[in-house]
Amino acid sequence: MAISVEARFEPLEWPSVSAAAGKDSGDEPLVKAAQGGDRAAFGQLYQRYVRMVHGILLARVPSVAAEDLVHDVFLQALPKLRALRDVSRFGPWLAAIARNRATDFHRRAKPDCSLEDRAGTAEPAENPEGQVGIEDSIALLNAVRELPDVYREPLILRFVEGMTGPEIAARTGLTHGSVRVNLHRGMHLLREKWQRHAPHAKKGQGL
Amino acid sequence: MKNDYLWDGSGEPDPELQRIEKSLGRFGHRGEMPDFPVTDFLQSKPSRFAFFTSGWTPRFAAATLLLLALTVSGLLLRLAPVELSNAQAWDVARLSGAPRVGNFSLASDSSKTQLRVGQLMVTDNSSRASLNVAAVGEIYVDPDSRVRLVESGSNRSRLALELGTIHAAIWAPPGEFVVDTPSASAVDLGCAYTLHVNDDGSGTLRTTLGWVGFHKDGHDSFIPAGAMCMTRPVQGPGTPYFEDASEQLRSALHAFDFESLSAADRQQALRMVLAQARRRDAFTLWHLLFRVNDEERPLLYDRLASLVPPPAGVTREGTLALNSPMMDAWWNAFDLGDISVWRFWEQKQAPPLLKKAAR
Repeated sequence: MAISVEARFEPLEWPSVSAAAGKDSGDEPLVKAAQGGDRAAFGQLYQRYVRMVHGILLARVPSVAAEDLVHDVFLQALPKLRALRDVSRFGPWLAAIARNRATDFHRRAKPDCSLEDRAGTAEPAENPEGQVGIEDSIALLNAVRELPDVYREPLILRFVEGMTGPEIAARTGLTHGSVRVNLHRGMHLLREKWQRHAPHAKKGQGL
Repeated sequence: MKNDYLWDGSGEPDPELQRIEKSLGRFGHRGEMPDFPVTDFLQSKPSRFAFFTSGWTPRFAAATLLLLALTVSGLLLRLAPVELSNAQAWDVARLSGAPRVGNFSLASDSSKTQLRVGQLMVTDNSSRASLNVAAVGEIYVDPDSRVRLVESGSNRSRLALELGTIHAAIWAPPGEFVVDTPSASAVDLGCAYTLHVNDDGSGTLRTTLGWVGFHKDGHDSFIPAGAMCMTRPVQGPGTPYFEDASEQLRSALHAFDFESLSAADRQQALRMVLAQARRRDAFTLWHLLFRVNDEERPLLYDRLASLVPPPAGVTREGTLALNSPMMDAWWNAFDLGDISVWRFWEQKQAPPLLKKAAR
């Protein structure tokens, strides 16, 4: 009996948040200052977290929408910041706002760009120099997006936003162990998915 | 250790991971930090000027001002026609030769310019260029091509390919990027295709990723990845088919779509298509349902139903009557793209022209 690739792993879900995570992130002074109305402090938090927010959104919405929604997320967070009691939880709190904003986008928005489903069956590109990379990139992004949330999010943060595993853990509030496992399992699933959906890929060539 | 590279980028670089980083890095965040409004910082503090900062008075005043501004700007726009719009211009980069934008020739490697609404870009037989807008996508223009930027807005971009070949890779939401040709318009439904226009206005569209809608005057074709569709100035888009379909099927379709056939020859062409169709070609037969006459349609239905059984709720009678929800449901059963995307585009972008689907 065929078993789906996804079914073989028990993903580590988001609630596996480290109690210690965020404590050493150095965010507390900035969050407290921002809560007191310091715009510069909030700007620093923006710079520190914008890639995380973008990555979380990109894992769920079309890329062009993700750019717009980044601003929405921070603008939503700003007036609510005073209500955040545990300032060490700023990262996970902001990540939750981003995930909710993505959900809200799908609830309200028109049918979005089908970046998700057709890429895996795409034929090898025969187009001019330069375009090959774009098509492959879109197909690869689609393949990542087809993975379960817990895998696609860290993979996008790692490969799209260029964050390291420790950074992902620090920003999202997950434990190092969770991020490490999900990165590795996600990569394993991605390789399998890519091979299944891109039969044109040469054997041994990988992704 | 190889695994450390995935974790924190340390250790021996893994070429596979480096390829993924390079490939996906292009989707990373690029935006600027917005200017966060001071009012949001002050929101939780009670204001001594609450009357002016909350309630209906300021909202009414703001709405009145906005209405006034829109009216004035609308009047100004009507009174002062502009040659070149201030809409978002597309970046043009020279890839080879000396492509021309308006009177400007890009003759060196470093030459870049912009294509504004209304402007024409021309490539000669040795020139190639790329067009780019970050929020829309990239277009590669082959030699001997003429491309005009017709419209460029936040939710809608439109090019006219008058002659030649373009390769489009689009990441804008479906339906927001359209290319007009002399015989049909290509509507991107996500995400990559090649479009060619001949001297006589005929053309060909080949989809490499996602799917594309090709339409003219309510005559529509949907072209999924791996498929192609021809178009002619009078007839508009023909019936799309997968490029790996048999030669007999392709020839018969071409004759059916574009040649003046006798009744007997038409019947023969149709029977050839039905005989050669594989399960994968079901989407071709789906298109043909709209293009055959009432006597021919039952033949089509039977063959299509044998390849891809009609989904629940789709009846023979309804299909023969081209019941729109049933036809849509059958299309979706092919798993080539959700047709509701197209219906949405029809309603939003061009309601007067495109009430009828796939006809």
